[in-house]
Amino acid sequence: MIDNGAITVEGIYKVFKKGRSDEVRAVDGISFDIKKGELFGLLGPNGAGKTTLIKCISTLLIPDSGAVRVAGYDIYREPLEVRRHIGVLTGGERSLYWKLNPVENLRYFAALYGVPRKHVGDRIDYLLELMGLTEKAGARVEKLSSGMKQKLSIARVLVHDPPILLVDEPTLGLDPYFARFIRDFVKNELNRKQGKTILLTTHYMDEADELCGRIAFMNRGRIEAMDTPVRLKRSMPQKQVLEIKCQGAIEKEIFDRVPDAAGINITHSDGFVYVRINTDNPEMILSSMIELIQQKTKIFSVRVTAPTLEDVFVDLTGASLRNGK
Amino acid sequence: MKRGEGSTKRVFHYLRAINAENIKEWKIELTYKPDFIRQFIEPFVYLFPYLLYGYALLGGRYSEHLKDMTGIGDMVAYTFIGYLFIGFLNTACWAMGFSLRKEQWYGTLETIFVAPVPRWVYVAGMALHSTCHQGLIMLIQAVVITTFFAIVLKMGGLFPALALVLLMLLGLYGLGIIVAGLTIALKQWWVVSEALSTLIVVVTPIAYPLAVLPIVLRKASMFLPTTYGIMGVRHFMLGEQLAVSLPTIFLRLAIIMVVWLTFGMATFLIMDRYGRKKGSLSVY
Repeated sequence: MIDNGAITVEGIYKVFKKGRSDEVRAVDGISFDIKKGELFGLLGPNGAGKTTLIKCISTLLIPDSGAVRVAGYDIYREPLEVRRHIGVLTGGERSLYWKLNPVENLRYFAALYGVPRKHVGDRIDYLLELMGLTEKAGARVEKLSSGMKQKLSIARVLVHDPPILLVDEPTLGLDPYFARFIRDFVKNELNRKQGKTILLTTHYMDEADELCGRIAFMNRGRIEAMDTPVRLKRSMPQKQVLEIKCQGAIEKEIFDRVPDAAGINITHSDGFVYVRINTDNPEMILSSMIELIQQKTKIFSVRVTAPTLEDVFVDLTGASLRNGK
Repeated sequence: MKRGEGSTKRVFHYLRAINAENIKEWKIELTYKPDFIRQFIEPFVYLFPYLLYGYALLGGRYSEHLKDMTGIGDMVAYTFIGYLFIGFLNTACWAMGFSLRKEQWYGTLETIFVAPVPRWVYVAGMALHSTCHQGLIMLIQAVVITTFFAIVLKMGGLFPALALVLLMLLGLYGLGIIVAGLTIALKQWWVVSEALSTLIVVVTPIAYPLAVLPIVLRKASMFLPTTYGIMGVRHFMLGEQLAVSLPTIFLRLAIIMVVWLTFGMATFLIMDRYGRKKGSLSVY
């Protein structure tokens, strides 16, 4: 049994067959360790293999090869013990029984997890209060808002007080208020106060940057880099990012001939297009960039910023966190 | 760190989980009230074509020919006892087989699959729920039909009949867990349920004695728990003449129970592993 390691992943592979000849390498030889009490993030675009990896660790899927130990238990030989020590929280709203109320849901899961009967009532009261759901204890889940459902999902995950949490895209589809609540709760209550080990997957770079002590960049089933957010950002060869906010369709290829532009990332948000270029010399490329973009569309603003995790990801993989291309 | 649960503690944990599954299903089912009521009315409606067909052929409810073959001349009593067992067949082929897909439709399948209980526990919970549900429906059916048609049952045979039903149910659970296992791998799983339930209804002596079946089907029926369950219960409750002795019926039923349960669990475990290898549960 490993004393310090909460989760140990050694060279795991998971390949899905698509038809007779095609295959998708969802997890392609990944290894990492997560220490007890650590909040570790897996950051990558949709389809990077994050959820497949979480499913392998939580025994929902059997890897093709490699070794995984959770709380010292082997996922192949001791899957029930692995499951007893983890709580798995997924994004989306359908992990609860909508026709039951919060208390009925939690009672059911308490029975599945073998929480002693004499403690179930107190545990449920505590969790509902912790999540601010006491007043909704008797309301059917279908009547709760998306944010409240996600809060109840967290209560469900905590019903057996697991030492390790696997949190898969926890703020997906939530409004900013509830997303903020979930982030604060994961960091301050679960990780700092309760000391739980957390493996968090997300494709939101701000979420990973804010919450995680260490981050692994995942793309096409592989880990491209792994370190603290600060070190990852420092590791960028280009120390500045030129960001141009514009509108309309822009193709990445038009910037191919711009010198000193190492990584270019084009994202869409709030009706605007953001072109971000990793560079050491923003002043040198500024005029040629503006000229190229103005041939296609209107520019709203230009600024120079420090690299974000997304910029590091683009620099490493050439892919965007938002669309994986 | 303590390594694992003790075996006694584990058994109680699984039993509690099975019961929690049963209670959860009752609660969900009771939120769909019209459908819940329908399930109690429908079995009466479906019985009538059997009886009307019998009346049309016999010109009444009594048949000397049926009496010669089975020792029971009352077509209504004969058919009604057999018909009751369709409810248990539904438990195996539909409720148990459907259990994992139902969780998938709720969206909760992966959530419950990361709980520290084996996956057959959910199928067993559904079996318990459906058995209670069907048992309640059958009890109401039995009271209403026997009163309405003035059928006299031998109440002294009730306990041995129930013992046979218990053995038969365990055998059917084996069948049900096979179907549940196949649903993990097959996208159109209901084809298996449909085919199995239809086949079993045909070769099981629900509305006619086995003697009228072609020899091949008669042999096939000998491998089904429902055959012995229905014959035995008719014997105990109505006095049907048996082609084989009672101890033989109990023995065969016990063997069938062990075989189906073992085969069922093996199939389920293989399919569960297959599903976790292929990721098939996430696909559909």
